[in-house]
Amino acid sequence: MTTSQLSTPHVLGIKYLTESDIQLIFETAESFKEVINRPIKKVPSLRDVTVANLFFEYSTRTRLSFELAEKRLSADVVNFSASSSSVKKWETLLDTVNNILSMKVDMVVMRHPAPGAPAFLSRHIDAHIINAGDGTHEHPTQALLDAFSMREKLGDLAGKKVAIMGDILHSRVALSNIFCLQKLGAQVVVCGPPTLIPKYIDRMGVGVEYNLRRALEWCDVANILRIQLERQDIKYFPSLREYAQFYGVNKQLLNSLKKEVVIMHPGPINRGVEITSDVADSDQSIILQQVENGVAIRMAILYLLAAKR
Amino acid sequence: MLLIKNAKILSPGTPHHGKKRDLSIDRKGRIQSIRAKLDEKRSKVLDVRGAYVSPGWMDVGVQVGDPGFEHREDLQSVAAAAAAGGFTALAPQPNTPPPIHSKSEVRYLRDGLRDSLIDLYPLGAVSQSCEGGDITEIYDMHRAGAIAFTDGQQSIQDGGLMMRALQYVKAIDGIVINAPHDESIAGRGQIHEGQMSTALGMKGLPALAEELMLQRDLYLLAYTDSRLHVANVSTAGAVALIREAKRKGLRVTASVPAMNLALTEEVLEGFDTNYKVLPPLREKSDLLALRRGIQDGTLDFVSSNHTPLEGEAKKLEFPYADFGALGLQTLFPLVNTHLGDRFKAEDWVRLLAFRPREVFGLAVPEIREKEMANLTIFSTEAEWTFEAQAIRSKSPNTPFLGQSFRGKVLGVVNKGQSVLF
Repeated sequence: MTTSQLSTPHVLGIKYLTESDIQLIFETAESFKEVINRPIKKVPSLRDVTVANLFFEYSTRTRLSFELAEKRLSADVVNFSASSSSVKKWETLLDTVNNILSMKVDMVVMRHPAPGAPAFLSRHIDAHIINAGDGTHEHPTQALLDAFSMREKLGDLAGKKVAIMGDILHSRVALSNIFCLQKLGAQVVVCGPPTLIPKYIDRMGVGVEYNLRRALEWCDVANILRIQLERQDIKYFPSLREYAQFYGVNKQLLNSLKKEVVIMHPGPINRGVEITSDVADSDQSIILQQVENGVAIRMAILYLLAAKR
Repeated sequence: MLLIKNAKILSPGTPHHGKKRDLSIDRKGRIQSIRAKLDEKRSKVLDVRGAYVSPGWMDVGVQVGDPGFEHREDLQSVAAAAAAGGFTALAPQPNTPPPIHSKSEVRYLRDGLRDSLIDLYPLGAVSQSCEGGDITEIYDMHRAGAIAFTDGQQSIQDGGLMMRALQYVKAIDGIVINAPHDESIAGRGQIHEGQMSTALGMKGLPALAEELMLQRDLYLLAYTDSRLHVANVSTAGAVALIREAKRKGLRVTASVPAMNLALTEEVLEGFDTNYKVLPPLREKSDLLALRRGIQDGTLDFVSSNHTPLEGEAKKLEFPYADFGALGLQTLFPLVNTHLGDRFKAEDWVRLLAFRPREVFGLAVPEIREKEMANLTIFSTEAEWTFEAQAIRSKSPNTPFLGQSFRGKVLGVVNKGQSVLF
């Protein structure tokens, strides 16, 4: 460990983290993972720190995961979600957040449909900001927990081959995973129908594969993404039925490979679309470990940012 | 009485072109005398110490909020911003509520700045309300003073409308202006489609959206044998298409926004909404092609693409912010700072005074004795910093606050009035 502090006051995206930031988060998460498996799971590290979870977009697991992480660190937590908010009364993001900050909040965890919204906020307010997903830009805590889970399973990620399958165009998880895995020395290929792959993704040093079998034959890990129907304003592919046939990962396909691929999925799963139940629930799958690690990773980030106060 | 001392006169075709002179302007705004040395008592003296005097500059395609969006910009404020940017003539876009789509709106604009030093040349809409449907009363607007026809910021999507507009203006030897932007390709794009849009997870505006429609417009131009001005050229492919069309003898002219000559998509790294503009800031290869296009005459002039927006329209999450930035006051300093070394002072006169007027058949003012003074005084060397209090627009949406520039406008004179800085 070369450093004990993050290089940045916010976690806005993997793009803005250094490799040693990532290693520091992993090391801290390891000790928190041990903590949350104890009979008494709570530590006092964030006592008297108030965290606001601002969710301008629907979320179940990320929000619960953050809230659990905050509570296990003894932070005071306030929650806000768009459906119950003043957003519908046309208040601006800045006004909404400033109102909340006037109530003396130290950290903001925000999910928002607009790319760059947390970066925008960080320029205008005085609180640590953690990006819990900003539109189709980044989802840094997801990428960190994904890489942390791969590392648990496979060890050092340098040289490992990771394929990201599915709707790359509308996925913040894909982008953050690409940045994170590249910083850790892994190779990345994206796979999906051409209309769901950004035209210039190859300029980021990422391989592109339209054929699912070939991608699976190549990779050590398959990170299978959900089809983001809610983010598609036009039709990028004709039907879920056809998608499932050509890009759905099923057991038969996996069994026909000459090796065992580690299966991941950031959730929520569309069973029978991008992944079949027998794959999601198989021994190859580390989907539930991802969820467990999510709490430890988020505890680590909250803890490290609070230390920068 | 105004006496401008030690000015290098740039007015090709006149006796004092290229020479260092003193120049006196009488109370009515007429150039009284131009001599190597003038000593005038009771004059206001401006010693410009070797700065240039050019025929007044013209900007085509400025967005004015008047009528309808006066809180963004009204005629008085756009006139002040234009003068501060070195312009004595403006051609405003028709995109106002109500739009400039009939004789009465054209007259409103034409007469709106009668008392100011700015000459206003209205652009009339091609379609009713700039909605891309039925064609407007183009002849009537032409008679009322509209110098060309365009749906302005609204690119003409329908090929049939574009074809009929090009045909219809032939009777008045008119010009249709279109900013090529195919909406079915552009979709909800936010910034140039490329490495930056990919890294920021932002929907992209492909160069294809511009080039595909430009191809269409050039085919329609060849078919109709009419006159077309391509506004907002921003891609290398578009420059190549226009170069080829000119070579083939089509009557096409083109202009490029100043920001696209100076900056690339890289400035968007920090999600600054003041860089969210249409056409979008593109890649290095586009920038270089645009610069070559300006130098070899493929692109006829530079435009400010001035688009005032209230702060609330910009202080938002990136996808929710409107497109556009102020441009009048920063056009010359911005471009001069970034590529002044390749420009001669004469190039500025060509790009800002001559070509915009020649393209639309307007007389270019001359700097000679007994002529009315219509001129811009500028230095290509003076350095300064653009601060908020210098903004003359009603709107604040410029990305350049706090930036240092090389090249400064020192004043403008027209219609017996002057603004000196």
